Amino acid sequence: MPPDKSRIELLQGTLDLLILRTLLFGPSHGHAIAKHIRRLSEEVLQVETGSLYPALHRLEAQGWISSAWEISDKGKRAKYYRLTKTGKKQLVAEQSKWEQLSAAMARVLRPAE
Amino acid sequence: MMQWIRLFVSRMWATLSRTRVDREFEEELSSHLQLLIDEYERQGLSRSDARREAIRRLGQPRFLREQHLDQSSFAAIDSVAQDLRYALRMLRKSPAFTAIATLSLAIGIGANTALFSLVDHLLLRSLPVREPDRLVKVQQAAVGPGLQKRRLEFPPPMVDAIRAETRIVSEVAGFTRLDRPAVTIDGVPEASREVERVSGDFFRSLGVVPILGRAPEESDEGAAVVSFGLWRARFDSRADVIGRRVSVNGESYTIVGVAPRRFFGVSIEHSTDLWISSLAAVPLAIVARLAPGVTAPQAEAALQSVISNAFPPPPNDFPLRMELLPAGRGTSLLREQYERPLLALTALVTVLLLITCTNVGSLLMVRNTARRRELTVRVALGARRTRLISHYLVESLLLAVAGGTLALVFARWGVSTLLATLPLAAAPESLAFEIDGRTLGFTAGVSLLSALLFGLAPAWRATHIDLTALRSIQGSTSTPNTRRLGRVLVASQVALSVVLLVGAGLFLQTLRNLTRSDVGFNPERLMQVSIDTRSAGYGEGQVGAVYRLLLERVGGIPGVASVTGIRNPVMRHSLSRCMMQFASATLASVRMASDEPWQCADVGPSFFETMGIPVLQGRAFTAADFDQDRRFIVVNEAFAKRYFPNQDPIALQIGIIGIVGNTKLAGVRAERAPMTYQQTRREPDRINALEVRAAGDPRAVVDAIRAEVQRVNPRLFLEIRTMRQEIDRDIAKERMVAAASAFFSLLGLLLVSIGIFGVASYTVAQRTTELGIRMALGASRRAVIGASLRDTMLVFGAGLAAGIVAAIAAVRFTASLISDLLFGLTATDVTNLVGAVLVMVAVACAACVLPARRATRIDPLGAIRCE
Repeated sequence: MPPDKSRIELLQGTLDLLILRTLLFGPSHGHAIAKHIRRLSEEVLQVETGSLYPALHRLEAQGWISSAWEISDKGKRAKYYRLTKTGKKQLVAEQSKWEQLSAAMARVLRPAE
Repeated sequence: MMQWIRLFVSRMWATLSRTRVDREFEEELSSHLQLLIDEYERQGLSRSDARREAIRRLGQPRFLREQHLDQSSFAAIDSVAQDLRYALRMLRKSPAFTAIATLSLAIGIGANTALFSLVDHLLLRSLPVREPDRLVKVQQAAVGPGLQKRRLEFPPPMVDAIRAETRIVSEVAGFTRLDRPAVTIDGVPEASREVERVSGDFFRSLGVVPILGRAPEESDEGAAVVSFGLWRARFDSRADVIGRRVSVNGESYTIVGVAPRRFFGVSIEHSTDLWISSLAAVPLAIVARLAPGVTAPQAEAALQSVISNAFPPPPNDFPLRMELLPAGRGTSLLREQYERPLLALTALVTVLLLITCTNVGSLLMVRNTARRRELTVRVALGARRTRLISHYLVESLLLAVAGGTLALVFARWGVSTLLATLPLAAAPESLAFEIDGRTLGFTAGVSLLSALLFGLAPAWRATHIDLTALRSIQGSTSTPNTRRLGRVLVASQVALSVVLLVGAGLFLQTLRNLTRSDVGFNPERLMQVSIDTRSAGYGEGQVGAVYRLLLERVGGIPGVASVTGIRNPVMRHSLSRCMMQFASATLASVRMASDEPWQCADVGPSFFETMGIPVLQGRAFTAADFDQDRRFIVVNEAFAKRYFPNQDPIALQIGIIGIVGNTKLAGVRAERAPMTYQQTRREPDRINALEVRAAGDPRAVVDAIRAEVQRVNPRLFLEIRTMRQEIDRDIAKERMVAAASAFFSLLGLLLVSIGIFGVASYTVAQRTTELGIRMALGASRRAVIGASLRDTMLVFGAGLAAGIVAAIAAVRFTASLISDLLFGLTATDVTNLVGAVLVMVAVACAACVLPARRATRIDPLGAIRCE
């Protein structure tokens, strides 16, 4: 795919946070997760399939999400991922870490304000 | 930690159940694809357009799968397996390279393994007994300047006295080796079996448990234990060996047990086949276990007082003192003698291994250069450097494993060859090469180390890829960096070879000096017949008659020019020490260095004539001298010069009747020290050897001499050797070191000549075009050769210079270790260094002949057109 200047490639580790955050609203499959992130970020964040599935499997291996084959509301079989208890804890931890980081970044980038 | 374990388990599971994971992921992808297609269809695209668009968005399923696999399983395990397959394929594809690399590694590793095995068995390894650290050899030694009197075996009362001191030594094992025992099993005589007569508590004290049957008891009347080797060879490893009977020197013994496989007795240079134990009281050598909490010096002092109180030494004798020596590694007469030679050879084989590694390393580099294009493509496709390096290292490791395995075969051959040079009757099984944990561990370690040594640098170089090289159609064949490393490797081979050559040169010259050294008598056509009047049963007053009979009988054999006898066998380091034997009245007139003993020998009639020792002044012993009790003295030149510098000792009338030339009767390395000869007494207590001068070929009369001696008494005869053989035995150690080091440096030269040949032909091939143009422009043959070999000469010159420096440093560094091994030259001998350099230059020239000829035969037109 040709690179699009207006889109931002995801930082290492931020995708995990976004996925966990998306799953907070309920179980979802890969396609829906990608779509959700794209939509909420107003098409800025593009999740490549090549990163999405590795990330999902990584999170599953770490026990933060679990998966099961289910029938979607449109009647199609799909693999649904849902947040586990430890996943929720991880989300809280990651989110506060991210907020600290972004606040710090902002202070550095705009020191005049 | 939990996190990590979970990840590990999941990845492990994924690695193991690869197909299942694969299938599930594919399913997931296709479901995603389907959802996308549905979405696009809803947006109004046609079914086929929707599908195309979905695939465009999603990415190529195969690529995604690869990526997924890399992350979900242990890619490293997969990639090692892959590397292994790949390396095997590459090695199979170039059999010549594989064969040369494996063979040279096998030589280098094999030489090291062989030396390690010998060093381990002779110097390091403990006996397979209980608590070897607490075992001591008990013996007595005389104190006195320059005296070497020892008591190694104790008479039974002394053995009992030592055994009674249980607070000093908790356990005592007594043993004595039988001299050429006559062993018969089932009435069949056994050839050359080693038998030890042992005390009843021998096995129990050592803590050696028979693998079959039991150890002898003190109360056993005639019990025997057979060695594992004899059990296997002679009794087919059958359990019914227990209870069978063997006969030793006519006495019958019942076999009660079989010794463990690795137990050969206490003396490590003998492999005992049979241990017999009976109530008979004989003198025994002693190995004892120190009582708990007692140190060797304490035990030594305690035993000394016990023995000197119970057995006061006779007056006028040199007093013997107790000596307790560590015996945990077994006792050995060879150990002390061979320690330094083995260490020197170990140093040489280490150098050989380095040459091997650099050689294989440069071979690998040449090959990697040929594979450069392939590598460049792989890097361009995204292979990581670590991945490529691991890939090369796997290949090196495979080579090392193959080389190491073959090395075990070479090592077995090497050890048995080296053992055959030992001055022993038979190469003992106890020192033989065997594949056990220690040798395997050593070989594996050395192989691994060499794989890293020869593999890492080429791998690092080869994977240093400049992607722009891909643009040129031919693909660059080498980079300046690779060439430089290749040259450094060849230069270091040259340098290491010079070191090896200098070492080998020192030992070879030592051997040459020893074989050419003038022993002071004429060894040609001379034979030494070892006899033993004492163990043949002749006591006081009986030896004289037998001796005269022997001289008469052997002297009467046709083909024997003359015969004499001696108490101190020649070339056996067995000369006696004499002090103050001149009549005390005359002592005052002789300026003697106080207390200084000199060498002396008791010799028979016509000794000097038979040996070919010149009489310089006065006379030799006459037949009449042997019929009287008055003893005369013949001195050698060194003695006369030392003690009578300005006098004529014969004129002094102090018993000296003649002066003869200096000799080296004790051994070839002996100094020409002051020495005296006395005629054997009319009734000597023992005679140990006859010296026989043959008129013609000595081998022609050997059988006749043996027959005559055995006709006098079959038990008298020990063995017969030519004097040349005796001299060879005396310098067996030097011969071994010289032969082994010459062999190692030959191997080194072979490897280095391959290296030089490689560099020379490579430069010639690279400069074909340039040389062709030069020839077309009318360059002379000489100029072409010069131009083509200039690079090689530079590399060689650098290596040679480094080698000279390294050799000088190495010799300086090891001078204290090797100077004892040398004879007739010093470690820093200049001619030796020059010789090594000349040999190296000659080998380099020989290696360059072919490439140089190829350079002069370049067809100018063809070479230019080629480009």
